[in-house]
This record gives sequence, structure tokens and C-alpha cells, in this order.
Amino acid sequence: MTITGYRSPLPVGDDGFPSQVRAEWTKFRTVRGWVVGLLTAAVVTVLVSLLGATGSGRSCRHGCTGPVGPGGEAVVDAFSFVHQPLTGDGSITVRVTSLKGGTDTGLEPWAKAGLIVKASTAQGSAYAAVMLTGGHGVRMQWDYIHDKAGSTSPPASPRWLRLTRSGATLTGSESADGAHWTAIGTSRLAGLPSTVQVGMFVTSPDHVETAVHFGGSSSIGGPSSATAGFDQVGVQGQGGPWTGGLVGGGGGPAARPGSSSFHQAGGTFTISGSGDIAPAVGGLGTNTVDRSLVGAFAGLMVMIVLGAMFITAEYRRGLIRTTLTASPRRGRVLAAKALVLGGIAFVAALAASALAFWLVGGLRRSKGDYSLPVSTLTEMRVVVGTAGILAVTAVLALAVGSILRRSAGAVTAVVVLTVLPYILAVASVLPAAPAQWLLRVTPAAAFAIQQSIPEYPQVSTLYTPANGYFPLAPWLGFGVLCAWTAAALALAVVLLRRRDA
Amino acid sequence: MNEAIHAEWTKLRTVAGTWWLLFAVIVLTTGLGAAAAAAVTCSYAGCQQDPVKISLTGTTLGQAIIAILAVSVIGGEYATGMIRTTLVAVPRRSTALAAKAVTLAAVVLAASLPSVLGSVLLGRLLLPGSGFTAAHGFSAPSLTDPSTLRAAVGSVLYLALIALLALGIATVVRDPAVATGVVLGLLYLSPVLVHLVSDPHWQRHLQQISPMNAGLAIQNTTNLRGLPISPWSGLGVLAAWAALALAAGGLALRVRDA
Amino acid sequence: MDATIEVAGLRKRFGSTQALDGLTFTVSPGQVTGFVGPNGAGKSTTMRAIVGLDAVDEGTALVGGQPYQSLRHPLSQVGALLDAAALQPSRTGRNHLLWLAHSQGLGARRVDDVIEQAGLATAAGRKAGGYSLGMRQRLGIAAALLGDPPVLMLDEPFNGLDPEGIVWMRGLLRSLAAQGRAVLVSSHLMSELQDSATHLVVIGRGRLVADTSVADLVAAASGDRVALRTSARTEAMGVLAHAGATVAATGPDTVTVSGLDSSSIVVLLGESAVPFSEVSAHRATLEEAYMELTRDTVEFRGSAQPEQSR
Repeated sequence: MTITGYRSPLPVGDDGFPSQVRAEWTKFRTVRGWVVGLLTAAVVTVLVSLLGATGSGRSCRHGCTGPVGPGGEAVVDAFSFVHQPLTGDGSITVRVTSLKGGTDTGLEPWAKAGLIVKASTAQGSAYAAVMLTGGHGVRMQWDYIHDKAGSTSPPASPRWLRLTRSGATLTGSESADGAHWTAIGTSRLAGLPSTVQVGMFVTSPDHVETAVHFGGSSSIGGPSSATAGFDQVGVQGQGGPWTGGLVGGGGGPAARPGSSSFHQAGGTFTISGSGDIAPAVGGLGTNTVDRSLVGAFAGLMVMIVLGAMFITAEYRRGLIRTTLTASPRRGRVLAAKALVLGGIAFVAALAASALAFWLVGGLRRSKGDYSLPVSTLTEMRVVVGTAGILAVTAVLALAVGSILRRSAGAVTAVVVLTVLPYILAVASVLPAAPAQWLLRVTPAAAFAIQQSIPEYPQVSTLYTPANGYFPLAPWLGFGVLCAWTAAALALAVVLLRRRDA
Repeated sequence: MNEAIHAEWTKLRTVAGTWWLLFAVIVLTTGLGAAAAAAVTCSYAGCQQDPVKISLTGTTLGQAIIAILAVSVIGGEYATGMIRTTLVAVPRRSTALAAKAVTLAAVVLAASLPSVLGSVLLGRLLLPGSGFTAAHGFSAPSLTDPSTLRAAVGSVLYLALIALLALGIATVVRDPAVATGVVLGLLYLSPVLVHLVSDPHWQRHLQQISPMNAGLAIQNTTNLRGLPISPWSGLGVLAAWAALALAAGGLALRVRDA
Repeated sequence: MDATIEVAGLRKRFGSTQALDGLTFTVSPGQVTGFVGPNGAGKSTTMRAIVGLDAVDEGTALVGGQPYQSLRHPLSQVGALLDAAALQPSRTGRNHLLWLAHSQGLGARRVDDVIEQAGLATAAGRKAGGYSLGMRQRLGIAAALLGDPPVLMLDEPFNGLDPEGIVWMRGLLRSLAAQGRAVLVSSHLMSELQDSATHLVVIGRGRLVADTSVADLVAAASGDRVALRTSARTEAMGVLAHAGATVAATGPDTVTVSGLDSSSIVVLLGESAVPFSEVSAHRATLEEAYMELTRDTVEFRGSAQPEQSR
């Protein structure tokens, strides 16, 4: 007689990764403290953001809206413009004979004089331009954010410039003698009307002087002006008479009223201008969309605590032994934990940052506060990226918690790695170079994903962490945090396998 | 009370973690201070920097380690259940908390003193290389200078008060992870907010009431008139926070079942 | 100071649960008092209330006539073992005892004494986190003995002990009581107390069920029955029933008799020439006596139900 061993009538359970994830999800949702913690993270994110927006009353002296470029970003669009309409294809050629700065401030490196083809004289309309600059040679720029370098011709020597329209394509060229031409670049301006304004422009951006002192740095400065001479003006195509005027005259923050004038003597034009044709950049005291999410720092703290506790609580009560008995593949246990925690944290943080963003936007509008507009895509990147920072940092805390097996130590380590470098970089004695270094190598680099106004080489301002400019590109900075987290998780898995539970 | 303090001291010294944490406080505080002193630049005369404050930058990091120590003094007991053994041995709960506070403060003072002195010394060695020279109108930081002495003594007291603040919060909160989160949030969120809030009145008020910003006012030796709060009043604000936290902790310990 | 614990009218409610419901009892010196009741009866809550860890809603708990929290050196008055795991795992066993000693103004010498007494000498230098459950119990016993207190209060001291440890613990409890100390020992297993406790406090649902000496309890449970072993069961039963006793057959050759004492039974059977091999007074085990009480507790629970829903 053979004895058959007992066989359970229960169906064989699935022991794959999905059921592991499901087990961790059940663990998470059945502890009330963790659910409360998650809600706390969301609530403080919203509340502190609102508090920050309430404390950021900055009424706008020049009206509460600024010009917005074709890409949805805030722009500065103020210059002296001697123009005529041009219908259909055509080209304009000119020789810039001189470019000089104003008597008080001298010639700004980004003072510009040259040719422009612009959809209309309205601020923020599409354009393409070739120009001689005060310190950056010949450039072709279009639609505010695009910049292409030509030759490095100094402002003192005359330079021939030409701008050709062919449908939506504009080509900029330069020449030393008017006979031999070199192309600088080509741009496509979608939606350019058939009749555009073409002509000569001069402008000169604010003079910025940086002073470093205790607690950060500040920039002082004011408007500047430039004067340029033009001759040999030639327009090919269906044109009209010349008109002189200001674009954004007196309206832009960079314009100096009355500093624009033009004289025409024979074929020679002398034009003075002040302002800039460029994307608007923020700086301290400017409301930007990233500053509407200051509460994310508070939410981050809660997420760090939550992430660390998700593993250290298992060690404290010996639950880890039950967990590892139920699922002996330890790497998978940690992966499931990371996935569940990261997923839950991301959903909660996304809801919180979207709500905070929406509420702060409404609050600012109702207070009449101006904040620099950015494209919808950028807004989405800031909101989603903020949620990403919170979620990935929670997973980092989980990994560090698994390595240290001490909750207080894990929380402190992660806070010191993420928040302290940010504080040291933006609000301490450190000068820009070490501050930027901190924001490259520490997980705090991830806050770059909140930067809504990019750094433009063609606009000179103080691109320091203190002013909201990060040394790394948004997703690259976020990648630094992800790399830290991946490394910590890898170390945690190795240690979890090697150590006795 | 003396016996309770003796017991707390025995508890603290017989856990290896205490010594590692105190060692970390000294190394990280002086290390970050030295890094800051080496990294700053003062390229022209009257560059408006505060050499003493730069040397003491490390306190912003050292306080985090002190927070771990302070939180584990009570949070660790709650986590393991040893708080019940402690309260059976010392049934008067205010005495038990006071003994912890005294012992912790003494230990933290002992670790802060070399941290701060080391920071000032390293600053004295490194700052001239960063342009803080006599030609630029700076003399090397020296404890014989009253304002430097105030910054140094104040920083030592600052770190001890941070420990008491953390102890009080941990007594109320009990869970070490949550307590650490609350303490570090209270300390580190205010500088971020001060930076990101643009209204100058709000900035000023935040700096006046936040434990870290107000407390660190004690480290300033130049441009005192431009400060939102005077050095000693700032340290007083932190002391008020610590007293409040300890009082709340004492009350919570007294009314709750262990 | 007297070596006593006096508990009077303790009431404590946790949310909707009435953990202690007017509990009153006294622990006297010179004996081991077993503190028994089913799981959740309120034993640990009572002990925690005695040392002031839990505040009661009503009633008093005095140690040597004083509230615990007013004692200057409490461990010299009461030695308590409440939760053997209540220590920090990263500290050595010896250092755990050392800080406790320092809290009472005692020195390291006393620590080494109790380490010896608790049989921990080989383990004292290791981190307490690595101790087995039995070693933690021994460490807890050492902590309770630290102040050489006249009152000892031990919550489930037999938990996790090996058979050798259980024998050691029983001997220790007896010798401590013999020195004139009051020893209160809680347990939910009567068999553990069999050879050590001389007095019992039985509670259920936060109320006192019995406060009695072990001897009385066992006697009450035993009744006056006599066990008889005989090869002539039918004859024996006839003779004894005729004499007025109540007789019950409990096996092929065993009979239980009540209503007659054993000497009368021997005489009666001798007179009638009925052979028998054994006559003995029936003696209940402590376990049986306790089960009887607990049965009452169950009934009491049933009748208390409408009262509770009030």
C-alpha cells in the first residue's frame, strides 16, 4: 500500500513579481499611519505652496501681463525700428557702419543693430533678424529664443547684412564688402503673414552689474542705449515708405523713454535704441511657475520619512523575517517595495503638485501678481517633474533605510543629501561655482526639473542657483537623482542578500 | 535627579552609536566649514562677506547629526519599548525627561566645542587663501575679537539648543523617523521658504521666527544692523522654541500611558 | 516599609474595552502569589498600573503603602519584570543593568551580583539584542533583583525558559518568598505555578474571580471524594450504596465514592469481605481547580453581557 502525502486542494498561488507587488501594496494600505502620512505629504505640499504664494506679493508696475512669444514664453520685445511693409518674398540688405554705446554706460555686449523681418509691430510677434552685436560678433536670431552665431566681426568695423524671405523661410547672410556673402543661418517661421514689416533696428539691454555679498549675490543696473549707423539700404520686393518708431516703446521694463530716435540723411540712417528682443528671464523677486510649488519641499520631507519607514518599520518589529520567509528572493522584495512606494508617492505627489499649481495660479491672478508665462509643455514638466522628485526621493529613502536599517539615520541622510545642498547652493555664503558644483553631483540636482525659465546664452543676467538657474538641464538633473537612487537600491539589494535578516 | 542623570549618562555612553554620531558632528561641522572657507572668494576690498560666519557654515550640517542623537535618546527607547524600563526605574516623569535633557545637552556641548573651535581655526588658516587678507580689510578670525567670540560661543549654544529642541519634539512624536522628519523640516524648510518667498516683509518675519534662521544670527560678525534679528535675540528665539518643545514633551510624557 | 502590594478598586478603560473593572486584592509578604487569568483578563494592565506606567481612571495601587511614583528609589522597593524585550538591542546585558543600577544610586558591584544570581555570567558581555528569549527573561529577573527589593512583580517569568530554567525559576521564587518578600507572579498557565505559588489571585475581564490560598482552592475542587480500586466492582458498589454513599463507576476496576470517608470505606469493605487494592482521597490538580474557576468566569461573562451593553 502506498501512502499519498497530503495535497492542498487550494489552487496553486502565483509566486511571480506581480503578486509580490500586490503583497507590498496590501502592506502599505493596511497601515493607517502610512496612508495618513501620504495624505500629509499631499496636504503640506498644497498648504505651504499657498503660504509661499501669499507671501510673494509683488505687484507689477508695468501691468500684469508682459508680451508672450510664439512659443508661449515670456519675452522682452522693445527696440527702435525703421521699417516698411513687404508683401510676399523679398530681401533687405544694409551696411552697418558703426555701433556705439550710450555715453553713460558704454556699449553693452548684447547691444544689437541690424535687420529684422517681423510679422507685425506688435510685441511678441514672430520675427527673424541678423545683427551686429556689441561683443558677440554677428548673429542671426529668430522668435526670441533662437540664436545662431555668424562671424566675430567687431562693432567698430562696418559689416554688410542681408535677410531674405522665401515663403516661411528666412535666410540671414553677412558680408565684409557687399560682394562676397556668407550664409549665417536659416529659420522657418510658421504662420508668417504674407505682408510683414522689414527694416533696421537698434536696441540695447539693461546694464547688469553683479555684486556678491553675504547671503548671496545681487545684480544692480539699469537701462542702456546704443546708436548705430546704416547705409546702402536696399529692399527687393513689394515695399513701401520708411516709418520710424518704437516697438514696445515705454512699455517694456528695459526701455528708456525718449532714448530712441532716428535721423535719415540721404541714404544714411542713424538710429538709437534701448531694450531687447529676447526671452524674458526671471531672477529674484520674479514669480515663476516653479516658485508656485515651494510646498514641494515640505512634501518632500514627509515622503522621505514615509520612504525610510516603509523598510525600517519591518526591521524594528522583526517583520522583515516574515517578509523574507514568505518571499525568499530578497532582491525582488526590495524591487516590489520600491515600485509600490514610488507608484503611490508619485500619484499622491502629482495630485498635490497639480492642485497646488492650479490654486497658486488662481491666487496670483486674484492678487494681480504677475508671473512669467511659459509654454504649457514647460508647465507640465514642472508639475510632473515635482511629483517625480518626491516619488524618486521616497524610493531613495527606502534604499537608504534598507542600507542603514535605522529610521532616524536614514531620514537625516536623505534630507542632508537632497535639501541641505539646495539650501547651501541657493541661500548661503557659497559663491556660484561651488554652488553649481553641489547642484551637479548631489541629488539636489533634481530640482533643475522645476526650472521653468531656461538659461539663454544670448541674454546676460546672473545665471546662478540663487536666482533659480541650475547648472544641469531639467531632465539631466532629475537623472542625477535617479542615478543616486539606482545606486542606493543596488547597494541595498547587495546588503539585503548578504546580511542576516 | 543626580542618579537619574548618572543612569542617562551610562545609557548614552554604553551605546556605540553615540560616539560615532559625536565624531561625525565634529568631522562634518569642521569639514563643511573648511570647504566653505576654501570655496568662497573675496576678490576686492570691502567684499561684504562675513569670514566668521563662513568658517561656521558646518553648523548647518552638524545640527542634523545632533538631531539624530537627540531623537534616538527618547525615540529609540519608544521604538524598543525600553521607555517602560526607564519609567519603572525613574517613575517621576519630569525627572526622567530633565535627566535626559541635561545629559544630552552636556554631551552635545562637549562635541560642539571642538567642532566650533576647529571650524574657527580652519577658517583662520584657509580664509587668507580665499582673499580674506589684510589688503582687503580683513583680519584673521580670532577668539580675542569679541564678535568672533560671541559667534563661537553662540554656535556651541546653538547646537545644544537644537539638541534640546529635537529631544522635546521626539518626546511628543515618539516615532524616531517621524520625529527626525519634523525636526529637520522645522530647521531646513524655513531657509528654503525665506529664499523662495519674495515679499520682503514675509522674508523678514520668517527669518525672525524660524529656529534655524534666527538661531544662526548669532554667527554674524559684520553688518549687524542689516540683520532681521539681532544675534542674541535670535538665539533667544531658538531657546524659546527649545523650551516650548521640552515643555510639550514633558506634558505629553506625563499625561500619556507609557 | 511593608512588603505588600495593595490594589483597591482599579478601573481602566481603553476605548470601548473595560480593561480593569473595580479590581481589588492584596499581595502579602512571605509567599508567592500567583496572578492568573485568561489572556486579556487585565493582568499586565494591573501590573503596569502598579508601577505607574498606565494611569488608572479610578482606584489606587500602593506598594508598601505608597504610590509607586512617590518612591525615591523604586527599584529598591519593587523589582518588576514586565516586558523582557524592553531594552535597547545594541547595549550589552551588563551595561543595561549598569544604567538601571546608576538610576538607583547603586554601583557596578551589585550588577555583578545579580548577573551571577540570574545565571547570566557568560552572556552579560554580549549585546542584549542577540539574546534568546530565555536569556532575556534572565536579564529581566536580574534587573528585578537589582535593588534587592522586598516586593517582586514578575509578568509571565516562565515564558521562553527551557525545562531546566523553569525548575530554576520555581526554586528562585520559593526562596525569594522564604526570605519574607512578597512575590506576585502572573501566568496564564496554572501548571507553571503548581509547585511555587501558595496563594492565588484569579481575575477575568478585569474583575476579581478568586483570592484564595492554593490549598483551599485545591481542596474545594477535590471535594470529599474517594477513589477505590477493586477487582469486585459490583459487590463493592452494592455494599457502599447500601451504607448511604453515592457511588460512580469510573473504569472496569475503579469507583469514585462520595458521602463516606476513606476509613469508613475500608471498614465497610473489610466487614463484607470485598477485596480492594487501593483506597485514596481524590485530589484535584491546580489545573483542574483553575479550569473550574475559569468555567465560572465563562458563565460570569455570559451573564455580564447585558450588563456591559448598558
